[in-house]
Amino acid sequence: MNLFVADAHWGWWIIFYFYLGGIAAGAYFTSTLIEWVGNEEDREIAHIGYVIAFPLILVCAVLLILDLNQPWRFWHMLLDSETFRPHVRIGSPMSVGSWALSLFGTCSLLSFVASVRANGLVARWHASPRIGILLRVAGCVVGFFVASYTGALLTATNQPIWSDTTWIAALFLTSAASTGIATMILLGRNKTTSATLGRLERADRWVITIELVVFLSFLGSLGVFLTELLDTISGKVLVVGTLLVGLLIPLLIHFRFGGRGKWSVTAAMCVLIGGFLLRWALLSVPSELLTGR
Amino acid sequence: MPQSVGFFTDTSVCIGCKACQVACRQWNDPTDGPASSEFSLPQLSGDSYDNTGSFSDVNWRHVKFIEQFSEDRSQTAWLMMSDVCKHCTDAPCMDVCPTKAILRTEFDTVYINEPACNGCRDCIAACPFGVIHISETKNVAQKCTFCYDRLRNGLVPACAQACPTQSIQFGPIDVLKQRASQRLSQLQQTGQNEARLYGADEQVLGGLNSFYLLLDEPEIYGLPSKPKVPSRSVSSSSLWGIVTSIFTALAILFAFRGRTSKLSIDETTDSNRSKVIDP
Repeated sequence: MNLFVADAHWGWWIIFYFYLGGIAAGAYFTSTLIEWVGNEEDREIAHIGYVIAFPLILVCAVLLILDLNQPWRFWHMLLDSETFRPHVRIGSPMSVGSWALSLFGTCSLLSFVASVRANGLVARWHASPRIGILLRVAGCVVGFFVASYTGALLTATNQPIWSDTTWIAALFLTSAASTGIATMILLGRNKTTSATLGRLERADRWVITIELVVFLSFLGSLGVFLTELLDTISGKVLVVGTLLVGLLIPLLIHFRFGGRGKWSVTAAMCVLIGGFLLRWALLSVPSELLTGR
Repeated sequence: MPQSVGFFTDTSVCIGCKACQVACRQWNDPTDGPASSEFSLPQLSGDSYDNTGSFSDVNWRHVKFIEQFSEDRSQTAWLMMSDVCKHCTDAPCMDVCPTKAILRTEFDTVYINEPACNGCRDCIAACPFGVIHISETKNVAQKCTFCYDRLRNGLVPACAQACPTQSIQFGPIDVLKQRASQRLSQLQQTGQNEARLYGADEQVLGGLNSFYLLLDEPEIYGLPSKPKVPSRSVSSSSLWGIVTSIFTALAILFAFRGRTSKLSIDETTDSNRSKVIDP
C-alpha cells in the first residue's frame, strides 16, 4: 500500500457521478436486454429504463464539468486543445471514459426521445430492425462500459486500496446493474404487470447474488490490506453499508418474502442505499488513510 | 538533438540548507504574480527543520529531515534529502492524463503544458510520489518543470545551481549514473552497507530521470519501493469487468427468457388477476 501519494480530492461531485452514472448505465443496459428477450408486456418497464437513463447521464455530465478546476476546458477531454482534433488515449481510463460517456449520452438521448414520443420519427428509428438494433446494441455495450470504467479509473492510480485490487470495475458494474434495476422497480411497479415485475425482481436477485460474490472477491483481493481498510470509518461503512444493507438484506427479503408489495420497495431502497454507500466509502478510503498516515 | 538529462541527488552530502527549495521558488515563482504579495512565512511544524511538510502547488522541491533515534537515544542519525519530481521513464501522470497536457520534452523530462490542463486531478491520483498539486491561483496541475525555460537557454536548473554541496547534480543521465555507481562503491567501501541507489535502474517505473543515493531503505525517505505503472492494471481490471458483464447480462436475459418455469407461470396467472400489486 502506497501512503506516500497526494490526495486527489475527488469529492461529492464524483461520488454522485459514480452513483447516478451507474444507475443510468444499469437501467439502460437492462432495458436493452429486456427489449431483446422480453415479451410485449415487458416493453413498458424497458421504456421506464430508457426514461431514467438520459436525464441522469445529463446530470452526470454537469457534475463532471463542475468537478474540474477549469470547467470551461471540459472539451479538452475529447479534442486536442491546440489542433481541435479529436483525441483519445487508450491507456487513460478517463480519456476513453469521456468518449464512452459521449456515445452513451447519444444512445440514451435517442432512446429517451423514442420512449417519450412513441409516435415520433425517432421512435420509428428505434423500433426499426436495422438502425434500432444497432442503436440498442451500441447503447448496451457502451452502457456496460460506462458502468465499469469508473472502477478501472480508480484502479489505474497509485492511491491506497484503489490500486491494491483489480476488482473495483467488476464491483461497480454489478452495483450499477442492481441499482439500475432497483430504480426501475421503484418507478415501474405501478405501471407494469406483476409478471414483468416478478421477472425484474428475479433478475435483481441474481444480479445481487453476483454482486455479493464480486464484493467478497474484492475484499479477498485486498489481502493484508483488508485490516487497514477495516480500521477506517469509510472501510467500516463499506462493509456494513454495502455488504449488509445493499446486499444481504435485499437478498434475504427476496428469498423470504418474494416480490410482495412493500417488501419489494424495501429491498429496492436497500439496494439504492447500499450502492450509494459503496461509492461514498470507496472514494473516501484513500483520503482517510492518507490523513491518518 | 538535446541529450537526455537528469538529477543525481546524493543524500549523503545533503546538509538540509534548503537553498534548492528557495532557488526553485524564486526562479519559478509558482504563486504566479499577484498572490506573491500575500506571501507569508510558513508556520513552524515542530517536525525537525521541515516547515513546508510536503510538496505543494508552490513547493516543487521539498527538503526532508528524518531523525532516527535508538530506543535509549544513545544512537542517532539525521538523514536529509532534497526531493523533487522524478521525471519517470514510465511516467504514471503522463499515462493517465486525458487531455495530453503532460508531455515528454526534448530533454527527456516530464512537463505540464498548463494551457491544456483542465484540472481533472487524475495525475495527482496516479503519481506514486505525491509530487503534483493543483495551483490555487491558476487552477491547473503543477510540479517541477525541470526548469524547462533554463534548459532551453543552456542553463543549469535553479536547484542544482544553488546546491552548495553538490548533493543535487545535474547532467546527462548516462554520466550521472556512472558517477552514482562510483559514489556508491566508495560509500560501501567505508562500511556504509545500507547505502543504495533508488531509480537508477529500470526497476522503478522504467528508471527515474531524478534518481537518488540513499543511506537507508526507500520507505524511510518516503519513497515507495515498488511504485505502480497505473495503466498496467487496466487490462486485468477490464478482464474482470468483462467477465462480470457477461454473467450480469446472462442473469438478466435468463430472468426474462425463462418464462416456462413454474415461477413464471404463477406470475403470469397473477398478472391476469391484477395488474398492480401494491398501489
